[in-house]
Amino acid sequence: MTGASGESPEGGTPVALSGPERSILAAIREIPDLPVEEDELANRLGLGLDAVRGSLQRLRSKHLVLVEEEHEKIVSLTPRGKETLSAGLPEHRLLDAIRARGPLTMEMVSSLGLLDDERSAAIGILRRRGLLADGIPLRFKSEVPPAAGPLPEERVLRQIANGERDLDATIVEGLERRGLARTDHRSIKRWAPSDEGRRLALVEEGEESLGALTPALLTSGGWRERVFRPYDVRAPVPLVGGARPNAYVAWLEEFAEVLVGLGFEEAEGPLLETEFWNNDVLFMPQDHPARSIHDALAVEGVVGHPPPGDLLARVAAVHEGRPLPGETTPVGPGWSAPYDPAIAARPVLRSQTTAVSARFLARHPVPPFRMYSIDRNFRREEVDAQHHLEFHQAEGIVGAEGMTVRHLVGLFRSLAEAIGIRDLKIRPSFFPFTEPSIEGYVRHPRLGWMEVFPGGLFRPEVLRPLGIDVPVLAWGVGITRLAMVSLGRNDIRDLFADDLDALLGRRT
Amino acid sequence: MPRSTLSGRRVLELLPDGVTDATWEELLFASKAEVDRRVGDELEISVTPDRLDLLSEGGLALYLQGALGSATGLPRARRARAVASPWSFRVDSSVDPLRPYVAGVRVRAPPGRPLDEGTLAEAVRFQEILHATVGRDRRAMSLGIYPTRRIQPPVRYALEPVDSIRFVPLRGTDPVTGAEFLAGDSMAQRYGALGAAEGRCLTLRDAAGEILSVPPILNSRSAGEARPKDRELLLEATGTRPRAVREGLGLLLVVFVARGWSLAPVPVERADGSLDDGSAILEPVEIDLSAEGLERITGAPLAPPEVAAAFARARLTARRARGGYRVAIPPWRPDLLAAVDLAEEVVLARGVRSEDGIVPATPTRGRRRAQTVFRQRIATLLLGLEFAQPHTPLLVSDASVARVDGSATIRLRNPVSGEFAHLRDRLLLSHLDVLAHNTRRSYPQRFGEVAPVVVRQPNAESGAETRHHAGLMIASERAGFADAAALVEYLLGSLDVGSVREPAELPGTIPGRAARARVAGEVVAEMGEVHPRILAQIGVPVPSAWAELDLTALWPLTARRDTD
Repeated sequence: MTGASGESPEGGTPVALSGPERSILAAIREIPDLPVEEDELANRLGLGLDAVRGSLQRLRSKHLVLVEEEHEKIVSLTPRGKETLSAGLPEHRLLDAIRARGPLTMEMVSSLGLLDDERSAAIGILRRRGLLADGIPLRFKSEVPPAAGPLPEERVLRQIANGERDLDATIVEGLERRGLARTDHRSIKRWAPSDEGRRLALVEEGEESLGALTPALLTSGGWRERVFRPYDVRAPVPLVGGARPNAYVAWLEEFAEVLVGLGFEEAEGPLLETEFWNNDVLFMPQDHPARSIHDALAVEGVVGHPPPGDLLARVAAVHEGRPLPGETTPVGPGWSAPYDPAIAARPVLRSQTTAVSARFLARHPVPPFRMYSIDRNFRREEVDAQHHLEFHQAEGIVGAEGMTVRHLVGLFRSLAEAIGIRDLKIRPSFFPFTEPSIEGYVRHPRLGWMEVFPGGLFRPEVLRPLGIDVPVLAWGVGITRLAMVSLGRNDIRDLFADDLDALLGRRT
Repeated sequence: MPRSTLSGRRVLELLPDGVTDATWEELLFASKAEVDRRVGDELEISVTPDRLDLLSEGGLALYLQGALGSATGLPRARRARAVASPWSFRVDSSVDPLRPYVAGVRVRAPPGRPLDEGTLAEAVRFQEILHATVGRDRRAMSLGIYPTRRIQPPVRYALEPVDSIRFVPLRGTDPVTGAEFLAGDSMAQRYGALGAAEGRCLTLRDAAGEILSVPPILNSRSAGEARPKDRELLLEATGTRPRAVREGLGLLLVVFVARGWSLAPVPVERADGSLDDGSAILEPVEIDLSAEGLERITGAPLAPPEVAAAFARARLTARRARGGYRVAIPPWRPDLLAAVDLAEEVVLARGVRSEDGIVPATPTRGRRRAQTVFRQRIATLLLGLEFAQPHTPLLVSDASVARVDGSATIRLRNPVSGEFAHLRDRLLLSHLDVLAHNTRRSYPQRFGEVAPVVVRQPNAESGAETRHHAGLMIASERAGFADAAALVEYLLGSLDVGSVREPAELPGTIPGRAARARVAGEVVAEMGEVHPRILAQIGVPVPSAWAELDLTALWPLTARRDTD
């Protein structure tokens, strides 16, 4: 069995070792003084260094050996450096000649047997060090001649020749520039078996090892006398592409479960609504800009109807600031504009899930009640990475005696904690159907403060026509945005996923 | 959200010294305004739609003064001394059918501080915001600002023949006739229909016959151009709704009140002889708030001094009244309509802190709708059949509908584009799009989705009904009608219902290879082979079988249904 990737009839990919790999792994496991350098290992096994290196690299890729690597600088003398070490540096020879013969003319310097470039370099060096005076003939600058003995460069040349490591780096650099020394870089690798390499059962060539565990082997018990061939557990495996829940849909379901856990019961409403339920019952003035043809999506060729019973008359009364039928005091001053029942009956794509809350309230639920709805809504927007005509909202209401704005804040805290967020702060807001209106901001670890929970207490102009006489907390969550953050999506269009390979997990 | 660009310097000069950026930010977070961007002195501010007053430098400063405590209670808007005044609007009955309402206020600069360029710019900018919002793009209300020294009162408001009108428009240099103005001016082209009809248009003229403006379009240059150093201005509003006229004019006042200008009413005399002294627009409105009603909102009893202090910080003035408080509301706070709005002011002025929250007890039992659980059950079965689960929009394109003959979708009246123009009546429309988007992926392809559709239903309140379908698609070399039918049988079988299959002509399918399934006589599913014409159009190289279950129809027929 080779170690090739692909489907394995045995149920896994065995760890395949070549003969040299097996020998090296066996040998390295026996060495007491680890890690060991590769040339020493080659000597022990009597194998060529290149062969040992190759096998060690392959064992490393199978995670069976570990390597420590050290980089070393080795300085050595060039042939010219070696000659200079025995003959002395040109500047040394020049000093000795002046010391012996006094000031030197150029003819006398030529007689010293120095090469042209050596001669010029030596004169320049001695002048820069302040040992020679300017001009010809060459003479010492000071009346006291410099001390005899080896120059610093000569001492370093000697150290290099002796194999010493602790060298003056500046002088070495100068010697390298003069072609007298060179620096080589060497990496030293020291090897040791990994835990896996120590544990791996090494099966000798020719020994029969067990690959797949077959029913026959199980029945016969034949596996008891055999050694299991180990698998390379890191080897690639066949790709499995199965159906899995759509990430966005699953996320919405999970959020719904959170709300159920908080005692909310689910409600649902039509996606094509009348303006009555989408706006009027929520005390949105009939000429509100958000209701214009530029913001709401209207439809062709469909005729809507007013709501059943006396609800239309009751809602018309609060819009016009009149008392509800049978009452003497108006709920509020209204919008000081005539209410148009024809507008109320117009069909429109639902723009807010609050319409579902209104329908729920119209069924006169017995307090206390908690309702939620997570569903699609529609706004007339250009589609781009951040906007879509179609988006989800999570909407909820809590109706009970004694509910106040403090309970709404407490509810925001519960919701935030339920989705794993603890930091919450509140600021004022405005919605036509709630008063007071607030917004809960939560702190996202990466994105900072995010506006997540808008909410408020339904206005009397909403509740009274519906016959509700307990305070009702209402909140909504722009859940599509929250899902994008939670799922790490930057483009809202990605939530409408239809790439089948991605949906089947064939790629991400 | 409404937004505007304000001068930070002009706001700060009305505040006490030492307001740091951090204080500023903290104060605004607790308000209904927020700074979107700050470049040098320019503050780009957005506000919630109820607090338009915060979009003026004066209004924002008044709010911040209260929040900082440097000035509290209702700002003192000085009234000009009551002297017999020749100022009034005389309203001709000709305006009644077109734009019947007019109101005005004269504002006078404090001694030694006449109109400066900053205040004029602020007033003009705020005027435009009010046109767009309260004025509903000038339809409901429009405003005018005039220098009183160039007007001879009273001012007549009438609908005049365009031939009788001659004036220099504010943005022009030469006199034009009414007809020329209406035909040639870009503002007139945009707003002309609001102020002109049948060869006549609205005018405001002074006693000397000088045109002040042609509402709601433009002022004249001679009598309608306010300039720096003017000491007194006439602010005027005309409109189709008295409330919008009152609100627009009331809001504009905040620019001047914040800088200590005094106010004088302008009476309105109508053709029927009625006279409005014009003072109502300047007077604070009083609204009662019961202590009990306040406690119902705040959740805690508040001592009267606390309530009074909270109102004072909100730049309102409250006094004790029987059982609660009587609160005076200035004309630039039209958002305060009723007791519940006042309760909000108290809540916000005291600050809402997350730690004050009370987690409400949970006496209710949470639950999913039984129909939702039913739909989830079908979705889970599809996953178990290894059908990929796309999530597709309800809105489909013109092209998607056109390729399936016989679709009865509802079309949007105002689509943004043809890409999202119809409400799908069957998932097939969306799922053919999914096939079209995946022609470069390998086959076989199998996917399914449980999702809503909208179908016509004349008796329904909105004329249509939202139903939930389960749609399935198989595209493979061997896909055929039997695959679709087998899936339908499997799904119906898992719900313990038996069905009867009958031939049907269905949109988008090959004739003779499509069927409906009925349970108890009701259609609960459709299925068939997708027509090769469509497959060729969308580039699918293999046969495709489709099935669609109507879960809304199926739900009441299933034996295992729960109660809902």
